[in-house]
Amino acid sequence: MKNEKFFRLLILVFFISVFFKTIVFAQSNYVLPYPPNMPGSLSYKIHLIYENVSRYWYFGNFGQFDYNLKLSDKYLVEAKTLFEYKQYLLGYKALKKSDQYFINILPNLVKAEKDGKNIVQKKAILNEASQKHIELLDKMEKSVPSTFIWQPEKSTPTTLDLKKTIDESIHLVEKNV
Amino acid sequence: MKKITVILYGIFLLLFAFFSYVFVDPNLVYLKNIYSGFAFSNRLLTTIFYTFSVIIFFIFYGIFIYLGVKKRINLREIFILLGMTAVISLFSYPAMLSYDIFNYIATSKVLFFYHENPYIIMPIEFAGDPLLAFMHAANKIALYGPIWVSLTGIPYLFGFGNFILTLFSFKIFIAVFYFLTVFLVWKMSKNIISVILFSLNPLVIIETLVSGHNDIVMLFLALFSFFLLMKRRVFFAILFFVLSIFIKYSTALLFPIFLYALWKTIEKSEVNWKTIFYFSALLMFVGFLFSPIREEIYPWYAIWFLSFIFLIPEKKILVFISLTFSFGLLFRYVPYMLFGTYAGLTPLFKLIATFTPASLVLLYFFYKKLWEKKSFRQ
Repeated sequence: MKNEKFFRLLILVFFISVFFKTIVFAQSNYVLPYPPNMPGSLSYKIHLIYENVSRYWYFGNFGQFDYNLKLSDKYLVEAKTLFEYKQYLLGYKALKKSDQYFINILPNLVKAEKDGKNIVQKKAILNEASQKHIELLDKMEKSVPSTFIWQPEKSTPTTLDLKKTIDESIHLVEKNV
Repeated sequence: MKKITVILYGIFLLLFAFFSYVFVDPNLVYLKNIYSGFAFSNRLLTTIFYTFSVIIFFIFYGIFIYLGVKKRINLREIFILLGMTAVISLFSYPAMLSYDIFNYIATSKVLFFYHENPYIIMPIEFAGDPLLAFMHAANKIALYGPIWVSLTGIPYLFGFGNFILTLFSFKIFIAVFYFLTVFLVWKMSKNIISVILFSLNPLVIIETLVSGHNDIVMLFLALFSFFLLMKRRVFFAILFFVLSIFIKYSTALLFPIFLYALWKTIEKSEVNWKTIFYFSALLMFVGFLFSPIREEIYPWYAIWFLSFIFLIPEKKILVFISLTFSFGLLFRYVPYMLFGTYAGLTPLFKLIATFTPASLVLLYFFYKKLWEKKSFRQ
């Protein structure tokens, strides 16, 4: 009798663990880029110029969709890496940039649809990307302090509300899904 | 005799144009009324027809060269012959042997219809576009240079949004460059044999007037830049050379020889143009041989060196090798036509078709020279 109870409990635990495992690890197949050059190097500055110039190369609604998504991905990965190295101010700035590029994605899809382009594929890509962004932002939220006081030399300190900023990013992405 | 040859040639071209429609793609909705599926269900018969067509094409070519050598055909008659060839070929099905013309149209559509950058956005990203059903490189960004992509705006505009009109508009556009190149060959060589060798070459006709490949545009611009150098118009020569490179990049190989000719021109010293053409042909031939690095040797790449070699018809061995290459390359299509696959023995047969005729000619010349040396010693 005791053994039977034990087995029932074991089977229940097994199914629950399988069920939750599926939910917890459900991940988007979207692949984010490798961490880019980090702020402070000369190549980073050159890359900023390249980014601004290449905006014109990526003309068209789909081109702008690609451009903004690519850069939103890039700055998100940059923010994650900088947070990991406790470079909170730089990470904060990178996250804000990622948000800024992310905001520009959807309007371009709306414009493309208005122009008669089939946006089903792009929407699917955006959905996958958004899920990935949320996954990463969730992870980041757990690893950063809720606030951080940035004390620059000979200047007034700035309080970075990191958790709030990440929350805002998550909401922004969720709005687009 | 000459009149009958021209009439028979015209009839042959008509039959060839008619034959080209057996290759209509089953997914080409715009031509569904004339789709027969013949080439796909009767592979052996199609291959036999095609093989005989190429042989007949070369017999006529040989006759025209003979008439030229015997001075029994003049420039006016040649241009009438070319006019007939161009008009009949215009009505042939352009994707008989290659689907490149569809890629040109798709790239043009990405830029001029969808207003997207074809170097970033692939045709496949426009889900539901009818072109996707039958084109073969929908998952590739623009493969050609920006000058070509820009120029395609002209035939695309004249297509007025109608696919069939666009298709033939592209063919007319290419035919214009064919005539301009032939005219240049005449201007640069002043030799009727050069004109016949180039303009009536079956490979040049099939790949340019039937399939509508853009290599002729690149070669026209390159030849025109050399022509301008001959006239000492340095600035425009450089401009057209750069334009040529940005059609399909291959003429970048001519850079050292162009630079040499430019330097000689600026220096106001004598330029041996025959030598320039000779080395240009060699460089383009090297490009042709190394094309498998990128993809494979496509028959239309032969136009790169043929345009220069035929400017120096006195280089008999080179001319014969070029002619045999023209012949062999047109048989590269045969294995796929017969087997319907790019795998298996197809690559080997393609290799054999490409190099066997030229190797035989080389061997012939080698033994001829050896025999001549022997008999001289005796």
